[in-house]
Amino acid sequence: MSFIQAILDGLLIGGVYAVISIGLTLVYGVMGIVNFAQAEFLTIGMFVAWFAWAFLGLDPVIAAPLSFAVAFAIGWIVQGQLIARVLTAPSVAQIFLTVGILIVIENGSLLLFGSQFRSVTTSYQTASLSLGPLFVSIPYLIAFAMSLLCGIALWWFMRASWFGRAMRATAQNPAAARLMGIDTALMYKVSFALGVGLTAFGGTVILPYVTVFPGVGGQFVVLMFTVVVLGGLGSVAGAVVGGLAVGVIQALSALFFPIQLQNLVLFVVFILVLAIRPQGLVGASR
Amino acid sequence: MTILEVRSLSRRFGGLQVLSEVTFSVRPREIVGVIGPNGAGKTTLFSTLVGLIRPDTGSVALDGRDLAGLKPHKVAAIGMTKTFQNVALFAESSVLDNVLTAGLLRHDVDRAREQALNCLDRVGLREVAGKLAGDLSFPERARVELARALCTAPKVLLLDEVMAALNHAEMTEIMQLIRSLRDDGVTLLVVEHHMRAIMNICDRILVLNFGRLLAEGTPDRVARDPQVIEAYLGRSAEALRR
Amino acid sequence: MKFRFTPCIAILALALLPLLLDPRGYWIRVLTITLLFAAMAQAWNIVGGLANQISLGHAAFFGIGAYASTVLLLKFGISPWLGMLAGGALGGLAALVIAIPTMRLQGHYFALATLAFGEVMRVIENVWTSLTGGPGGLSVPFVPPGFAAYSFKLLRPHAYIALIALLVVTAVFEMIRRSAMGYRLRGIRQNLPAAEVIGIDTTRVKLQAAVISGALTAMLGTLYAQLAVFFDPDTVFGIAGISIRIALIAIIGGVGTAVGPILGAFFIIPLEELMNDLLSSRAAGLSQLVFGIILIAVILWQPRGFVTVFVSLKARLSRREAR
Repeated sequence: MSFIQAILDGLLIGGVYAVISIGLTLVYGVMGIVNFAQAEFLTIGMFVAWFAWAFLGLDPVIAAPLSFAVAFAIGWIVQGQLIARVLTAPSVAQIFLTVGILIVIENGSLLLFGSQFRSVTTSYQTASLSLGPLFVSIPYLIAFAMSLLCGIALWWFMRASWFGRAMRATAQNPAAARLMGIDTALMYKVSFALGVGLTAFGGTVILPYVTVFPGVGGQFVVLMFTVVVLGGLGSVAGAVVGGLAVGVIQALSALFFPIQLQNLVLFVVFILVLAIRPQGLVGASR
Repeated sequence: MTILEVRSLSRRFGGLQVLSEVTFSVRPREIVGVIGPNGAGKTTLFSTLVGLIRPDTGSVALDGRDLAGLKPHKVAAIGMTKTFQNVALFAESSVLDNVLTAGLLRHDVDRAREQALNCLDRVGLREVAGKLAGDLSFPERARVELARALCTAPKVLLLDEVMAALNHAEMTEIMQLIRSLRDDGVTLLVVEHHMRAIMNICDRILVLNFGRLLAEGTPDRVARDPQVIEAYLGRSAEALRR
Repeated sequence: MKFRFTPCIAILALALLPLLLDPRGYWIRVLTITLLFAAMAQAWNIVGGLANQISLGHAAFFGIGAYASTVLLLKFGISPWLGMLAGGALGGLAALVIAIPTMRLQGHYFALATLAFGEVMRVIENVWTSLTGGPGGLSVPFVPPGFAAYSFKLLRPHAYIALIALLVVTAVFEMIRRSAMGYRLRGIRQNLPAAEVIGIDTTRVKLQAAVISGALTAMLGTLYAQLAVFFDPDTVFGIAGISIRIALIAIIGGVGTAVGPILGAFFIIPLEELMNDLLSSRAAGLSQLVFGIILIAVILWQPRGFVTVFVSLKARLSRREAR
């Protein structure tokens, strides 16, 4: 029974992991760059939401779009001023530019906000539903629901809106996209900003059960990368599959292993996928 | 007495059959031309011969040795290498270093440097040995690539459109060079679109179309082959017949 | 070997520096750490610079070395010098283990894999308490001073050992760069298929570079262990503190050059110590923030690192003299 409970919890959490990680895969799919600083936008999103809660009394669920907007704006500027300059540079430059951004954001948060742990308290934090013999934690459920909404919105955006289709065109063939009149530089900005915005959104919905501090993003780094690599770098559907899978793997390993080893399981999965099937479960075979 | 034996080479990429049961053999010191419309599979054939691509079925034997599953560097060690159609030089290294690196297959650094200078002499580019490979013109880069391939002391050399973008004088020089290489004992397979050049230097011609070997034989015979003419409708066919 | 005036003067100066500094003092410790990080960055430079394999997980080797020699000392009383060799062998083996499956991965994917590997090592060391003492860390046991025991009363010998280590790693770097292996690595870096076709066993060459780099980094871990006397998994296997820092040092100084990591270390480490001193806990993270900004600035405006500034300065000076 705890097995099924773990799977349920894993799926609920996995949905959030998917939203958090979609941005990473989106950026890679459109620009071919792995944004090592992606997890830092999780931190940004969480801090924005926390302050919104502390000073404006906003529930994280309501603050989520605000976090999205803030991260979107920051991402827009970062892409335009920094990332855009290394799109054709060798990979060492691309890797370390985003690593530099990671360092700046993490330590910037440390300087601005201090190292203390902060958390929110909401009315529903410890509540749960009973589903037969299973418990459904309310914060998890709300987080999952928000992620689902977000996912649907993203799906509509990518499929039905002009912007979404233009982005996909840019991802597949930038030169052709340009010839069709698509402003690829704009698409890059939109993809990056959207990507980090989604990560920030995801961070906000987990605020009810995760403590925020400047290094919180760092705790999610390998997790996010495992999600996208498992699903296939560049595939949004893959990020969903990967997110759910990672959620379940994590929940199941919590049953069997102490907390330190749980992380190990994820890392090992990550390395195995890279070694055996780098294109991921959903990605196209090379 | 064959130096290169190719049997039933086939390869599929997704939905496309890029090579289809290609079979031929090459005798030592032959100059064999490989022609065919764009997309016929000529470059794929070369890549498969040197081991960059694994065939789905079929075999390649060099000097009696089966090359199945061997990586390109092993194939080079046995004695076959190729040049790249779009020229794959080390753009940030000097011309000399480019060729020297190939010489390291069989010599130490100092000997390799000597060999590299000899090879550059052969293609007439010794004066630019110190220049950065990326700074040269396209025809010069093609010649450096030829020198680099030469420096591996190959038994069989596969040249992929070395004469692209050359003027008449340059082409004549390269043709001379190819002939002299043959005189030195190298067997050559040459992909080219310049029909006159092919007709001039090749002992035999292989015609590929849609991955299949369409025809094979002396330049005259191939020029008269109705299937070849049909595949090449147009001015090239006229050139073939002249 | 061409005789170069400037490096010889620099080495001489570096060699004399420890003699001038107070052997118990603060600055000699900074110097030792600087030399150590310069050596680590140089070892990273072998794969990051010559082979263009960007590793974000070199801490794995560093930690393996630190733990190997210390555990051997604790459990079997083996001299750290021998422990260092054992650590080096383990580091080389670890490099093989991580390199073989990740060989085909390009750029970003490879960096990710190394990142994960470093973290795997850190978690293993945290969890394998019976061997490593777990998160509580390990202390290098006190041994009566003596060279054979790698135990010294003062810091000066540590500084000299670090200096020699830097010279050795730099020599290895240069030897690789000028040798046949260096040519092959340059070929692999610039065009992999072409390199294969002209007879370079690209897999084997990349593995060789990885093993050399891993082994050297592991041996430097022993140096650190003996200097610091105490360490824990989060320190020696740390992503930010070790893996990213040594790559950052090499890149800011000039990746792919022999002088780059040395320049980078002598810029970063003393600056960091200074900032941490002046600002202490009131501005935790400021020094790191500054380095992050410098890293970004270097990538955007001087991607070949500080070394180019020196090279162009030298060029401008010699042009002036020629007039």
